Amino acid sequence: MAESTKQDIGKLLAKQGILIAFALFIIGFTIANPKFLTLDNFENVVRSSAILGVMALGVTFVVISGNLDLSVGSMMSFSTIVVLDLHDKLGPTLAIPAMFAMTLCLGALIGFLVGYLKLNSLIVTLGMLSAIHGLTLTYSGGKNMDIADKEGTWFAIFGQGNILGIQTPILIFIALAALLGIILAKTPFGRKVYAVGGNGTAATFSGIRRARVVFLCYIMSALCVATAGLIQASRSMGSQNTVGQGLELEVLAAVILGGASLLGGSGTIFKTVIGVLILGFIQNGLLLVGLDFSVQYVVTWIIIILAVWLDIAAKRGKLMSPIA
Amino acid sequence: MKLRRILAATTATAAMTVAGMAAAETMTIGITQNNVGVDSYQTTYEKAFIAAAEANADVEVVVLDAGGDVARQIAQMEDLIQQEVDAIIIWPTNGEAVIPAVRKAHQAGIPVVVTNSNIAEAGFPFVSTFSGPDNITQGARSAEIMCDRFKALGIENEAKVVHITGQPGYTTAIERAKGFNDRLPEVCPNVEQIDEQPGDWNREKSQQVMEAFLVKYDDIDGVYSGDDNMGVGAMNAAIAAGREGITFVGATNFAVGYEAMAAGTYWGSIYQSPVDDAEAALKSAIDLLNGEELPFLNYFDTPKITQDNMGDFTKPVF
Repeated sequence: MAESTKQDIGKLLAKQGILIAFALFIIGFTIANPKFLTLDNFENVVRSSAILGVMALGVTFVVISGNLDLSVGSMMSFSTIVVLDLHDKLGPTLAIPAMFAMTLCLGALIGFLVGYLKLNSLIVTLGMLSAIHGLTLTYSGGKNMDIADKEGTWFAIFGQGNILGIQTPILIFIALAALLGIILAKTPFGRKVYAVGGNGTAATFSGIRRARVVFLCYIMSALCVATAGLIQASRSMGSQNTVGQGLELEVLAAVILGGASLLGGSGTIFKTVIGVLILGFIQNGLLLVGLDFSVQYVVTWIIIILAVWLDIAAKRGKLMSPIA
Repeated sequence: MKLRRILAATTATAAMTVAGMAAAETMTIGITQNNVGVDSYQTTYEKAFIAAAEANADVEVVVLDAGGDVARQIAQMEDLIQQEVDAIIIWPTNGEAVIPAVRKAHQAGIPVVVTNSNIAEAGFPFVSTFSGPDNITQGARSAEIMCDRFKALGIENEAKVVHITGQPGYTTAIERAKGFNDRLPEVCPNVEQIDEQPGDWNREKSQQVMEAFLVKYDDIDGVYSGDDNMGVGAMNAAIAAGREGITFVGATNFAVGYEAMAAGTYWGSIYQSPVDDAEAALKSAIDLLNGEELPFLNYFDTPKITQDNMGDFTKPVF
């Protein structure tokens, strides 16, 4: 009996190595600064991780399908700037759908290039990273966008509002994670995403329309980016053109940290959420501990490596490589 | 935008040829800018520069933009040398990499004015004058604004300050932080700076940093941010957390900072106008060509702005 319990725990560890790593960080930071483990602080971290998190949800689809999306940072800047600009021109009711439509067009373009033309996603989205940034700058003329009347609009609810005491960005993040988690895990489309990423050729021969699946993954990603842009815009009611710059790598780090394979075919929404939270808590924890920022950069890297190592070690049941 | 620059360049070149034949006193000044269009400051700077040049009948300008690209800026420097302009103004894309190009202009006998952000010290022998804001003074003035406010509130002996800096490694960020950190203990020796972290010139990042500060410290009386964009991010964090009575001081007064000052939630900043910056650069070049002696570091004034005197200043356009 004891043996089987041990095996069960072993299996659990193997499945949830990243969760254990997560728990260890929480304990570590709490010892370093007890204020880390307060409800207020947790809410802060989840709320400020929500923007990155929402973007990571979409990128999870793209990564599982065996592709990359490095354009999400620029695209988020674009969505934010566009919705802020249109807010004052068209009013929020029209500005939000217009921004979503424009962002989805960008996603569709990438999806077409990567899915139907079968171009390398790294090249396409790396190119789009600069192209969309250029588009944003052309659109805004380089100016910061600010909503003129910050008090007299309901636009603030997406970033600053709360429902039953829970802040809206958190609710949006949770709701979208639940929805996309179900789509990925429980629907035929979700299965196809894994199939395409796991073995594209086999998927094609099984009758899966590979191009269409990849295309839809980028649409998912653009949808998430537009949502993130909406939260961002509503949260600060104004923005620089560079607001999302560099986020693409953080998003990718969160997705990979969650255990999705860069080669495609594996990963889950739940684990991506954990990956996002780990990144958020590391940043917040290091600030609370109060290390010098230059040290923080290095420590962040060490913690990420530690998390990935624990995850892999748990999967193979050994701390070091089993192959001597 | 682009078209206009090309137009400006062609008309200026044409004008130069004509000028060479006709009036001897017309001077041609070339400028290669860092990255117009990337932010409102640089966009406004370019407009003001062109406007100031147009207002002066003795001056023709060749206006170029490096688009943030060092290689392109070096090529533009070489073009301007080739065109034999009378003076070159450069807004460096990179303080180190442009030195050889600046040296080349110097050797060709063309005086070089560095604008806004200075190049590295190794290039100083080839530069005629630097025209721009004095970031150390800006930091020091922010410290004075903060201290004066604490005195007015009667908390100059116990106040605690947190400091949000710009992007690590940037000269502007380093100099402002140094100015503030050196000056604050001189004017308010009992005020304690309890933490300092970078906000990367980013409003969202600054807001997150401030949220962590608010969790970490129960008592914060003042926040100094390296620019108003970050300052407003920090202020939003405090408002969201319901923490009142904090004095927010920034630098480079942005429109959002000006509005927050008008609303009474943000205390003060440093007024740095891209229009003054552009006009000062052009004036420096003209003065040089007129044979005037200029100090090597030719700063333009960036005054203090607070809720008390903001009526004296127009709202920034960026």
